[in-house]
Amino acid sequence: MPVFATDRELYDTIGTLFKWGSEDPELGPKIREGNLVIRFVYHHPESEITVDARNEPAPGSYFTVHLGPVDLKPDVTMEMEADVAHTFWFGKLNLLTALARGQMRAAGPIQSILKLLPAIKPAYKKYPEIARERGLPGVEA
Amino acid sequence: MEFTEFRVTTRVMAGIDLVDSLDWELGRAGLDRGLLVTDAGIRHLAERARRAAPRRVVGVYDAVTPNSAVAQVEETARLAQELEVGFLLAVGGGSVLDTAKAAAIVITEGGGLLDHQGVNVLTRPLVPVVAIPTTAGTGSEVTAYAVIRDETARSKLTFSSEHLVPVMAILDPTLTVGMNHELTASTGIDALTHAVEAFVSTKAGPFSDALALAAVDGILSHLPVVLKDGSDIGARWQMLTASCLAGLAFSWAMVGCVHAMSHACGGLCEVPHGIANAILLPHGLEYNRVACEEKFEVLRRRMGDDPVAVVRSLLAQLGLPMRLRDVGVREEDLPALAELAMLDGSIYSNPREATLEEIVAVLRAAY
Repeated sequence: MPVFATDRELYDTIGTLFKWGSEDPELGPKIREGNLVIRFVYHHPESEITVDARNEPAPGSYFTVHLGPVDLKPDVTMEMEADVAHTFWFGKLNLLTALARGQMRAAGPIQSILKLLPAIKPAYKKYPEIARERGLPGVEA
Repeated sequence: MEFTEFRVTTRVMAGIDLVDSLDWELGRAGLDRGLLVTDAGIRHLAERARRAAPRRVVGVYDAVTPNSAVAQVEETARLAQELEVGFLLAVGGGSVLDTAKAAAIVITEGGGLLDHQGVNVLTRPLVPVVAIPTTAGTGSEVTAYAVIRDETARSKLTFSSEHLVPVMAILDPTLTVGMNHELTASTGIDALTHAVEAFVSTKAGPFSDALALAAVDGILSHLPVVLKDGSDIGARWQMLTASCLAGLAFSWAMVGCVHAMSHACGGLCEVPHGIANAILLPHGLEYNRVACEEKFEVLRRRMGDDPVAVVRSLLAQLGLPMRLRDVGVREEDLPALAELAMLDGSIYSNPREATLEEIVAVLRAAY
């Protein structure tokens, strides 16, 4: 059974993580520095989240998070099963291994994504809290 | 080891004068209307391939240069599309083979090459590529990678997909006997770098280890021989085989910080890939030593001495440039080179998790 029953549940979980990141003084500025529009396309449930670190965000945010389809051309698109995303944000999935195994698809200049990897480390700590609060299953090592 | 996978999809053939029966092999594979991709400096070798299959080659693109660039890939693709070719016949070194492989992306998928950056972006078979290496170093005849220089960004782009693997590789040692001393040496060290970096990589597995060690044996035994006597066909054959084995090894195990730095040097300062590897290999190995002592011990037993010492001793015999400063790199380039290296995919399979400061230090040691 998929971790997320509906797209709303996914937006409420992964979307909340991204929105937290957009206001986090440690993570936010580093993503902003990347100056990219990154689209995450998820399957089961079908959903997408776009992180816009290129255009000016609302006051108090370092970047804008769009939940659901938005008319914005991405620099990089990451596509994966929603369950894979859940495992990834628990810090239990190596990005390069996931790419090698075809669990993730990255379209665009992959270097720009790799550059952001060190910046997102605090999110691995935050995500399990968000998932737990919503009663979602954990991920074993 | 988190995950391991291994597969050989290229039909690899090796033999003396094998290129002369190209028509038969292409016919067996059902390949017709090919574009010959090569570089002007080895046109005579490419002509030999064309003469062997005159009815199956309908055009020639011979403007590939070392560190081949996006523009050359797109020119190749345009010509192939005009001629409505059914396959690409790449005869040359790593740049030629990678140009043909990258052109296959553009021919099949359309658009420009940069539209197809990413991982797992290519989802269907590409126009087939037949690879005939004329150097013993690249391994590109069997790998799932194509490395192309982005002239605008002055960096190297790595395209990676199972669909980039050539359908056929013809290893004919008679095509490599004309290589001069420097090219023989630098491409041989490129192959050694592939083998050693694949062996110590975080992505190494039992299949890649076996191939990498066989490649190390072959290179250490035969590179000195071909450098002494370039006409030794037997040793040239062994070098082609070792290079191919190393290519198979790193196609799955990937490479490490030496390649990351070498790609940066090629992208920013246009240092030829084999030369950059030759300069950086001992420094990269020394840097990695603490992270892979067991693998170093296996290499030590295999090589008969400490791996860094063996590499240094081999390099001393080759007469290649030994310092980055000797190949057009300026001291002020080092921080930018390190930044580029840190963005290169190869750095992620390096056995030691590298920091920017450490890579600057390695580059400085090699400067």
